[in-house]
Amino acid sequence: MLADLVQNSLDGLAAGAAYALLALGFTLIFGVLRRANLSYGPAIMFGCYAAALTHQHFGAGLFMLALVTIAGAVLAGAYVERLCFAPHREGSAIAAMVASFALWMQFEELAALVLPGHLYAFPMLHEGAPLALGAFTFRIDALVLLAVAILVCASLWWMLYRSRFGLAVRAVIEQPTAASLAGINVPRVLVRVFALASAIGGVAGYLVVASNGQITPMLGMWATLKGLLAMMLGGLGSLPGAVLGGLALGLIEAHSQWYLGPQMRDLIAYLLLFVLLAARVPWMTSRSAS
Amino acid sequence: MSLLAVEDVVTAYGKIEALKGVSLEVAEGTITCLLGPNGAGKTTLMMTIAGILKPRRGRVLLGGTDIAGQAPHAIVARGIALVPENRLVFPAMTVLENLQAGAFQRRDKAAVAEDVERMFTRFPRLKERHAQQAGTLSGGEQQMLAVARALMSRPRLLLMDEPSLGLAPLVVEEIFRIIAELHRDGTTIFLVEQNAHMALKVAQHFFLIEQGKVTFSGDPGALAEDEVIRRAYLGSAQQ
Ligand SMILES: Nc1ncnc2c1ncn2[C@@H]1O[C@H](COP(=O)(O)OP(=O)(O)O)[C@@H](O)[C@H]1O
Ligand SMILES: [Mg+2]
Repeated sequence: MLADLVQNSLDGLAAGAAYALLALGFTLIFGVLRRANLSYGPAIMFGCYAAALTHQHFGAGLFMLALVTIAGAVLAGAYVERLCFAPHREGSAIAAMVASFALWMQFEELAALVLPGHLYAFPMLHEGAPLALGAFTFRIDALVLLAVAILVCASLWWMLYRSRFGLAVRAVIEQPTAASLAGINVPRVLVRVFALASAIGGVAGYLVVASNGQITPMLGMWATLKGLLAMMLGGLGSLPGAVLGGLALGLIEAHSQWYLGPQMRDLIAYLLLFVLLAARVPWMTSRSAS
Repeated sequence: MSLLAVEDVVTAYGKIEALKGVSLEVAEGTITCLLGPNGAGKTTLMMTIAGILKPRRGRVLLGGTDIAGQAPHAIVARGIALVPENRLVFPAMTVLENLQAGAFQRRDKAAVAEDVERMFTRFPRLKERHAQQAGTLSGGEQQMLAVARALMSRPRLLLMDEPSLGLAPLVVEEIFRIIAELHRDGTTIFLVEQNAHMALKVAQHFFLIEQGKVTFSGDPGALAEDEVIRRAYLGSAQQ
């Protein structure tokens, strides 16, 4: 009983680490732009497909594939930023969101064009047996995922709170007009944050695809949904909240899958979000209200 | 020559022109004051000079160079800093970080650190609270912080948009004492105020703006104070 609980929690944390990364990228974009980027996941998928193609044609190594994924996600992110967000900086948030949905469809069509089959193999991070420690097993790829997520969080924290660029990012998140008046080039900060968020998404996308050993055109929607859900669970717009929201989502999914069955897995997460929103818990209403 | 010259500036929100051809000048080394009733276009003018709003027409000359329509960060680089209406401090950042943000374009770390110390000397309350989040400060302290943050860019011209708004009378007096001090130290100040009585005491020159147009300009003695105050609060339309 207890062993199951611990094992499920470990599995949940690993999945949650990926969700946390997705939510971090989502939250960064939401924080500086006050706009939801529905094409966030599809841009990550673009990067993963670029890596899958690179693998097919050149058989590149794991590290190279990770770089290709990140570069592809940043490139696709830049495309989304130029088309959806740069033109609507002062204008309607809805227009930007709808535009990002249109690009989502573009990315899915593109995926269907370049890899018409539904499922493609992707080189695994680790093929051997999982690490056994007493009664528990650790998947090596899950450990890598956790370690990378911790590294990304620590670097992001350092960047935000210890660097000049981070000061500018926080200023833009808190009070964009005052940031401009302080001499910060706000449009430039926005573009860079978008690129950074896409890169973090690329890292998450690569780790997930390489853990699963396969890629499907569902990846885009999956990444957007999980990122959005984790961001909202953690309280729209808070970076530590995004990490906690991601981990919580991973744990909730793992436990509800084990105790209630796989069909209930996603339902429970949505139900929880609904309850939290309806109950107006403080951390979900304070920032999103402004 | 005047440090700042605004020439026939028109700024609009959509179809509504908030500034309908404003011209005025701020001489180097003076405190110049802009008075006018609510909705006259004072904030719109400040935002236009600072580059947050783009004028539809007209010129904004700083030391003879037209800066109209430039990006706000480029205008800061040219030496203008605005203390915005409602202060707009960065609430979750510490007092010290707010000051550092004000010096964002400066790369001279040692001189920036010196200026932070100078601000702490001028505003001792900020020193006491340097590690506190700016959002936890009182209204008066936030106003001091907004002024100090603007000064951190070492501006040639300091714009202030209603610095006394919503503050207790004692705090308002302190703000005006600081304005006079800054002026004595050589800063050129262009001040928007609702508190005409206080503003006329410190200013060397003032302009009246009503419904997007400058309707009067002169020295503080040029118009009976009660007449200025009446028009500054109510506008001449209500005579
Ligand atoms: N963001 C805005 N959108 C539309 N109209 C605005 C906006 N801001 C100000 N206005 C209008 O422009 C006019 C001038 O406003 P403002 O410059 O704020 O006046 P003041 O600072 O003198 O009180 C007012 O009629 C106001 O309603
Ligand atoms: Mg105003």
